[in-house]
Amino acid sequence: MAPGLKRFTDVAGDGTPRLDDAAGEELMCVERAASVALGSRAPEPPGTLFITTRRVIWLSEAEKGKGYAVDFLDITLHAVSRDPEAYPSPCLYTQIEAEADSDEEDGDFDSEANGDSQLPKISEMRIILADAAQLDSLFDAFCHCAELNPDPTAEENEDGEGMTNGGWIHGDEDEHMVDGIDPEFFIPTPIGQNGGDGLSSSVLELQINDQRFEDAEEEEARENGH
Amino acid sequence: MLFFSYFKELVGKEVTVELKNDLAIRGTLHSVDQYLNIKLENTRVVDQDKYPHMLSVRNCFIRGSVVRYVLLPQDGVDIDILHDATRREARGG
Repeated sequence: MAPGLKRFTDVAGDGTPRLDDAAGEELMCVERAASVALGSRAPEPPGTLFITTRRVIWLSEAEKGKGYAVDFLDITLHAVSRDPEAYPSPCLYTQIEAEADSDEEDGDFDSEANGDSQLPKISEMRIILADAAQLDSLFDAFCHCAELNPDPTAEENEDGEGMTNGGWIHGDEDEHMVDGIDPEFFIPTPIGQNGGDGLSSSVLELQINDQRFEDAEEEEARENGH
Repeated sequence: MLFFSYFKELVGKEVTVELKNDLAIRGTLHSVDQYLNIKLENTRVVDQDKYPHMLSVRNCFIRGSVVRYVLLPQDGVDIDILHDATRREARGG
């Protein structure tokens, strides 16, 4: 399934979204009088926001059958924005994993059809609540649900090679291990994710070819012998 | 779990989190979980020209899987403890 924001139309008779019961999806909370603004588009007329254990679904009040959904897996960041210089109204700002060739913001959103085809490229969504005082609890709900949805690959990193290899950067020379370490070697620090980008793979190579752990123990023994 | 334990030690300190989309956010580390999801407080965006709309958000939740680097404060690195922890981790496998 393609990542990012999707159109959502699977609405039950009572106006609530049909959830994926088979996958254990449950409704966590509902925010009425919520509006969303996609990318640089103007906010939609208010609708209802449904937070489930798996995703965020927004259904339009004004336009029946119009709605959007995004999986928590694809929400990379969320934050409460209250600075009027950043955005005219207080909102929950979210960043969404967008399609790779994304140059969304500058896209032409004039026609509805064009706008829809652009949906997977939307990398930002703002949620504006009629009651801005609820933003903090919405933020907490997003945090909670994000934690319910770890990346499928995260477990591989847990005890597999990913975790052991994606370690700290040390100096090439063993001297650095024993004597005072140049603090520069700790900044910046990879966070143990194998993103597959050039930098982290070069870090991996560095450590695979590096017998520093055995060396470290020997050094340690020698050190104690002193 | 080395990173999780280590980052927990940094709670309350000022860090800069660089995301895989190049966005870099500086703020006080509020909390971190086992997936290395990171919550920052009093955040500001490092490259404000590029992300003017993120000028000031008070708190921010970052998904662990999109983090590229965490830049640590220098006084947040206790080399001896880190040494031992990494060795233990390497032995334990």
